Amino acid sequence: MNMKKVLLILGVLLATATMLFSAGQADKAVETGPSKVSMYANITAIEPILERYKAESGVEVEYTRLSTARYVSTILTEVEAKKLVADVVQGPLPVLEILREYGVLSNYKAKAMEGYPDWAKKDGIHLFGIEYVGLIYNTDLVSAAEAPKSYMDLTDPKWKGHIVMPDPGAHATTITWLVGLRENVFKSDAEWYRFLEGLAKNEPMLVASFSPTANPLASGEKKIGVSMPKYIVTKAPAPLDYAKISPMLGSPRAIAITKDAPHRKDAEAFLEFWLGKSAASQLANDVGEYVLAPGVYPPIPGIAETEVIPIRELSDEEIQKWGTEFGKIFALK
Amino acid sequence: MEINIRGLKKYYQSEGKVIKALDGVDLTIEANKIFTLLGPSGCGKTTLLRCIVGLETPDEGEIRIGETIVWSKEKGLYVPPEKRELGMVFQTYAIWPHMNVFNNVAYPLQNMKLPKEEIADRVAKTLKFVQLEGFENRPSTRLSGGQQQRVALARALVAEPKVILFDEPLSNLDAKLREETRKELRVFLTELQITAVYVTHDRVEALALSDMIGVMNKGKIVELGTPRKIYFDADHRFVADFIGRSNLIPAKLLRQEKLHTIVETPIGEIACHKRTFEQDAELVLCLRPEFINTEKPSDEHTNRVTGIIRQMTFVGEVYEADVRIGDETVLVKLDPETTLVEGDELTLSMKPDHCLLVSR
Amino acid sequence: MEKRNARLTYSLIVIVSLLTVAPVIMLVIGSFSNNLHSFGNFTLKKYAAVYTDPMLIDILGDTAAFVLGSALFATVLAIFLAYLNNRTDIPFKFLFKIVSVMPMMIPHVLFAVSWALLLNPTNGILNMWLTRLFALPKAPFNIYTIPGMIVVEGLLDLPVAYLIISPAMGSFDATLEESSRVFKAGPLKTLFRITLPVLRPAIMASFILCVVRALASFAVPSVLGMPGRIYVLSTFIYRVVSMSLIADYGKAAAIGMSILVISISLIYVYRYYTRASDKFVTVSSRGFKPSVVELRKGRIPLFIIVLFISALLILLPVVVLFYTSLVPYVMVPGAKAFAAMSWDNWKTVIKDPISVRSLKNSLFLGIAGATVGSFLSVLVAYVIVKVKTKAAGVLESISFLSFSFPGIVIGIGFMWYFVRTPLYATIWALFFGYIATYLPYGIRPMTSAFIQIHGSLEESSLVCGASFTTTLRRIVLPLLVPGFVSAWILLATMFFRELSISVVLSRPGTETLAVQILRFSEDGQWGKLSALGLIMIFVSTAMVLAVNALGAYFKPGAVREKKRVGIKPKLKAAV
Repeated sequence: MNMKKVLLILGVLLATATMLFSAGQADKAVETGPSKVSMYANITAIEPILERYKAESGVEVEYTRLSTARYVSTILTEVEAKKLVADVVQGPLPVLEILREYGVLSNYKAKAMEGYPDWAKKDGIHLFGIEYVGLIYNTDLVSAAEAPKSYMDLTDPKWKGHIVMPDPGAHATTITWLVGLRENVFKSDAEWYRFLEGLAKNEPMLVASFSPTANPLASGEKKIGVSMPKYIVTKAPAPLDYAKISPMLGSPRAIAITKDAPHRKDAEAFLEFWLGKSAASQLANDVGEYVLAPGVYPPIPGIAETEVIPIRELSDEEIQKWGTEFGKIFALK
Repeated sequence: MEINIRGLKKYYQSEGKVIKALDGVDLTIEANKIFTLLGPSGCGKTTLLRCIVGLETPDEGEIRIGETIVWSKEKGLYVPPEKRELGMVFQTYAIWPHMNVFNNVAYPLQNMKLPKEEIADRVAKTLKFVQLEGFENRPSTRLSGGQQQRVALARALVAEPKVILFDEPLSNLDAKLREETRKELRVFLTELQITAVYVTHDRVEALALSDMIGVMNKGKIVELGTPRKIYFDADHRFVADFIGRSNLIPAKLLRQEKLHTIVETPIGEIACHKRTFEQDAELVLCLRPEFINTEKPSDEHTNRVTGIIRQMTFVGEVYEADVRIGDETVLVKLDPETTLVEGDELTLSMKPDHCLLVSR
Repeated sequence: MEKRNARLTYSLIVIVSLLTVAPVIMLVIGSFSNNLHSFGNFTLKKYAAVYTDPMLIDILGDTAAFVLGSALFATVLAIFLAYLNNRTDIPFKFLFKIVSVMPMMIPHVLFAVSWALLLNPTNGILNMWLTRLFALPKAPFNIYTIPGMIVVEGLLDLPVAYLIISPAMGSFDATLEESSRVFKAGPLKTLFRITLPVLRPAIMASFILCVVRALASFAVPSVLGMPGRIYVLSTFIYRVVSMSLIADYGKAAAIGMSILVISISLIYVYRYYTRASDKFVTVSSRGFKPSVVELRKGRIPLFIIVLFISALLILLPVVVLFYTSLVPYVMVPGAKAFAAMSWDNWKTVIKDPISVRSLKNSLFLGIAGATVGSFLSVLVAYVIVKVKTKAAGVLESISFLSFSFPGIVIGIGFMWYFVRTPLYATIWALFFGYIATYLPYGIRPMTSAFIQIHGSLEESSLVCGASFTTTLRRIVLPLLVPGFVSAWILLATMFFRELSISVVLSRPGTETLAVQILRFSEDGQWGKLSALGLIMIFVSTAMVLAVNALGAYFKPGAVREKKRVGIKPKLKAAV
């Protein structure tokens, strides 16, 4: 029996593979300069901003994208194994608050927060934007005059079969948004329920999250949807616009520095840059984000006049309770 | 090279039952002889062969090939098949379909890492020996059954092993080819001076090929002997029955005479080949049809009985006839040109030396 | 012999356990842990929470329909194609190779989205076209239904089924069929009474693998199921995970456990029904006799059916992808779309350093991973088929462990596992994670191939003085070439587009193609996504074609191929 030989062959194969791989990685090694900042983020399409930062400061920002669903569990796993390499973490506010509870965050206060609203300044956590949600419609199929003037207009039977939205029985941000409507828009539970039931009666197509709402809207498969106004920017020239309803609601986007950041100084510098006007403008202009930096708005007509307010964060128990409730209301069967 | 087997056991578990494939086999196979393991299917002969080659591991015992212990439970020894330096011809021939004849035959030499020229030489020589000259480049899938068999033989012989093993190598051939190949094999093996272990369930093959036969049944070697001994003078009823067609007639010991043993049977008093038994032993008289004389008896044919032909079947070289003697029916062979017909009376005579007594 | 086999079995059990059992153990711990990462106080809360969900009954029913339906669809289609390709004189056989492996190379999400664009009931391109053509009152098809999901998932799983069934079909001992024909059975009756029953191990293997895959599939249920409000177990897991900002993967793992139990039981069922696999040894040294069924009048109609399937599988999704890669956003084809077409998306993707890096990484993972994975599979398949001890059964089951978990869950299992090793955040985490998870893709085709190699072919090699490794190299591997090629292709194309594990374990520098595609999709950049997706399809097609050519070159009996003409008249006489 010559298992050794087999293992040897496998070993040689592995070695060859490694060589192949390191050849492919050679250019990457050159890229990696001495100073870099590791950023874990759930915000998307921010590469141009990071590139500009590198060009300006020489510091490379290594961007690890973590979706919200994977965020807490990944970071806590790494913390537990003492392998967290993140200097800067960016995510929804409730997520960062959990990380703070676990003692992952430092309480560094960025100077660039001057001029930001007071509610955006939280012990070590900096709110820099709102992941705003609105009613987005296809301008080829719906004229501005036909577009809803209020949230309740969405219950109009003319929209039956023409709506797309994330599943309110499953998608946390959408659940929060619906509860936010009750607290900020509708006057009574009865009115709110009328809205929910009316919306359900219009048989919206339910998708997994916001990102798959964009295609059906752009292609005209659906006329209107509960979606994100930023797609008007990122999907341009797709025929998209948003219903001008005030207020628009959204979850706050937050950013912080980790307690044991391996590149603390660079991380602080980067955070100041991120919260500063130029980065915020780029975020608004290129990605269509709604930022809190004073006077900066995304290039969507009318958005500066629209009130965009942060939703109260729900506890997990609340999310699950309402998720189940909405699941029943929106159940088709 | 001599093969020595001591206390070999191999049990299988199958659906909760224990199957004793080998149940304590002790066996010495003499060097440079053709040894045949003969027995019905499932008697353990193939298992024994595979244990010798090393394709199966016994549960207990010891196997020695020449001076080398290749397996020992006690000493914890195990030599893998590739180190045993044996040759083997498989029942299916196991010719590798993706190689041509040359590569099939050269394979054992290539494993010995011999120089290319020597390999080519020896392959050519071996192919000539098995009369497959010039077949080197033939794809092995384009060979007839007989040719495949020879390639398998060439492959087993090419490395000049001291021991070669055969697992029913002729069973896939047609009757005529089988007979020819058997004769050739006998010639090859005698020429080579090699220890050959041959497994078969075909008694004619065993008798024709072997220097020595071991008859197996239920995982045990029942009897060991030369073909003549096994055929004429088997000690066990199982062997007597298995090795050839026999009329088995119950018998009772009457007395021992100087030259013969006399028994009482339903066909009368018969003088038999001398053997010692206990008094009143329940015996079986074993009469081979080919030794029952129906012509004019000579002086040696001292046992004589008379019966009536019940049925005659023409099978080519003879008539096979059922002869009724009292309540017993005895199978005898009649000359194909006989004038006898069914219903005729017939006198049968036997030499006492061909009347074999075995215990019941 | 047995000792060696036992040693081999146990070393493989150790190796495979390190790969597959470890992450599953982490998941088991996580599902009982009163914490968000894997270790915490014991609790049954998570099981209680997910298994008392009132939706569960409906979900189970829909899951069963979806999973069994798609596995049946894929297997039947694979038998049909494999039979036509291997046993009949249908023209243009090369089409089959392409048809059957094509869906392997298309990222499943893209495939599902393409079908949504084609067959959604509102403005699906095909639906609109059919409605206009036949003046129908409403769209004839709705892809957001269980049958729609079954068809799309079935097409996606077709390569798996085909690559398992086709080698077995190809190396089938034709005398078994010929004797049936002699005994007055027509070709069809022979197919159903002889060919298919003898191929039972391969067919069952394919069916079970498809079931397991469909159970774990997420792309189709999320893209096509959720809009139709059809939930299956994998989307139920997603729901449980996404219903909270702090996703609790312990709960996801708790649901995953029942999928695991189903999968493992299926494997035991499979072992039970194929335990007498000796009966199914069909290739001996006398094998490799090709026999061709003449289709005569059926030749052209059957070919048209195959052409139609190819169009569905290759042309439509690829054309849709190509189209979306040219337009700035997803739009219905028309004058407006035509005016807006440009190569911008392609230019951006080719210049994007992360896309280029992800292509390199995926190539490395695909080629090196598939090679190592195939060799490991040869050994494992050898033990499964030839050793047949209890330990071999254990090895077979554990090789399926991580495979049978839904992707969302097993990725987390690997994260919990690898974070405790130096592999974490390196490309090797992906490398070993891939091999561990998709090992059955390597093992399955290899076992069906092994089953058909008569044991005496190896034994005679051992007796001829060849060591175990020489035997493997000179006898077993060459005879296994068709199975090996299947396994390699399955693994390489799988690794090349792998998402579930990559998305969890990939870090800056170790991005893979699918992760980059996911990024584009999250950014809503469907044009770039389609362009990168097409690049991915081109590269893996090239990879598959190259390996197929190599395989054909090394195929046992290839030398003889040309001389086959000489046997033809004889065959005609037999038919």
